[in-house]
Amino acid sequence: MTGVVVADSVTKRYGEVLGLNGFSANFPEGITGLVGPNGAGKSTLFRLLAGQLKVDSGRLTILGEPAWGQGEFRRRIGYCPEPPSLFDWMTGNDFVTTLLRLDGFSREEAAARCARAMAEVALTGDGNRRLRVYSKGMRQRVKFAQCIAHDPELVLLDEPLNGVDPVGRASLSVLMKQFSAAGRHLIVSSHVLYEVERLTDQIVMIANGQAIAQGDLHRIRDLIDSRPHVIDLETPDPRLVGRFLGAWDHVVSVEFPEPGRLRVKTRSPDEFYAALPGLVVTEGLTVRSVRSADDNLDAVFRYLSEGRR
Amino acid sequence: MTGELGRLGTVVWLSFRGSVYGARALGLAAFAAMPAVIVAAIASARPAASAISDSALALFGLLTLPIVAMVVILVLAAAQFRTEIDAETLVYLSDRSVDRSTLVVGKYLGSVAAALVLILPSSLLPLAVAILGGGSAYGSGVPGAVAAAAVLATLAYGGFFLFLGLATRSALLVGLIFGFLWEELLPLLPGDVPKFTVIFYLRSYLSSVITSGPLSGYGGALDGSSAAAVLVLFGAAFVILGCFVFRFLETAPEKESV
Repeated sequence: MTGVVVADSVTKRYGEVLGLNGFSANFPEGITGLVGPNGAGKSTLFRLLAGQLKVDSGRLTILGEPAWGQGEFRRRIGYCPEPPSLFDWMTGNDFVTTLLRLDGFSREEAAARCARAMAEVALTGDGNRRLRVYSKGMRQRVKFAQCIAHDPELVLLDEPLNGVDPVGRASLSVLMKQFSAAGRHLIVSSHVLYEVERLTDQIVMIANGQAIAQGDLHRIRDLIDSRPHVIDLETPDPRLVGRFLGAWDHVVSVEFPEPGRLRVKTRSPDEFYAALPGLVVTEGLTVRSVRSADDNLDAVFRYLSEGRR
Repeated sequence: MTGELGRLGTVVWLSFRGSVYGARALGLAAFAAMPAVIVAAIASARPAASAISDSALALFGLLTLPIVAMVVILVLAAAQFRTEIDAETLVYLSDRSVDRSTLVVGKYLGSVAAALVLILPSSLLPLAVAILGGGSAYGSGVPGAVAAAAVLATLAYGGFFLFLGLATRSALLVGLIFGFLWEELLPLLPGDVPKFTVIFYLRSYLSSVITSGPLSGYGGALDGSSAAAVLVLFGAAFVILGCFVFRFLETAPEKESV
């Protein structure tokens, strides 16, 4: 098999818990989505690829090199981990520049690359603020900046859109597409199929530490489309936002589970995610985060996992 | 492009800046000020001039070196890797093309520099307070010897505690046991047993270079330069061991999200 990442029967245990269980997949060039419910093994795979963990058995290569390997080939890879933790005492510019310096760039080159990367993620004006004051969305963007600043061939993005506001999601998605159009490769993980599907139709689906499907996902989409998709929004004015969303044809229901939170069920997540940023901008709404409650997706993954046994 | 030395400098700076930032550093600074406060209190009681100066020196041997310096170094050095692994920030450094040994050496030097920012004032300020409080002047070599002992302690303990931070998830606990049981009890035992402690060599160094006052009879039986060499080699040996451990260390946090 050839690909930017090749996994052959990869197993990784945490004591008694199996993180990956004979995971085999071939991630081709371009953008590939790694989709699976929470706890499926996505982060384990990314940590193996980032050299944080070692495989217990099987073979895992990244750009033709063993994933555990260290050294210069790591400069060909950019990694955006899922946790929001950063060096909070640093400014955004310090953070990106320091990591570039660790990759061997001179002070001047690092500063120039940092400025470009921060501009690409629309953080130029916030570059001199400390990371501890960054919002969740800004943290995701500065993480994205550090992983593209050294111009890697392959970028690994672990749940990059998690907790990002609708406008931020749209701009990050555009950035990913631009990055791919420039001949780079991306592997993007998400527990929300629709997020990834808008970026690419190359999908690897993972559940219980195994790859359960790879490639075309129309069959899976059909399964998911038959169930209403649940989306949680965080907003200071749920009733106002709910009034607008409730008027959309594909929205089945709008609920207010707790203060500052809105739960929407829609039969057309594609339309929902496409239209939300426009609504937020035109109506001047504040939506702090958008999160897909993946209960329905879990059911589909269970269905697929059971079908393989 | 810069070489490994440039990357080392970046790691040192990153580690130093991270160590001297935040509530933890402020707490350690307050702790490190304790000897100076005690000497000021002694001076305020107006004892004899020599008593003030001698108490400042004795305090360095009894409190600053074995307790204050040890705790400051333990907290800063052990946290270098362990805190970052648990906070999930180490990945930003370890997934770069920088060599893992460079990360270990850089973090060692950064934590040593940060510890010295606290320990050197903690060691020298009581001497200054003693003189300002009416104490008799010290011999010309005393402040230098005290500063050198503080540096040697930082280098030796720093290497060991950095290694603990890599080798165990309970580095602070193991470090405290080492500092307060091993280092305190073994020197009381007869024969060659005390030679298995760091404090033995620190005492040897001090009693060798300070020939009068309370630290001259501080203990140890080695000449100053040999003691200093042992301390530097001890720290370096554990840094090298740390490089070896880190090369094979999985750095994902224990609370694993699959």
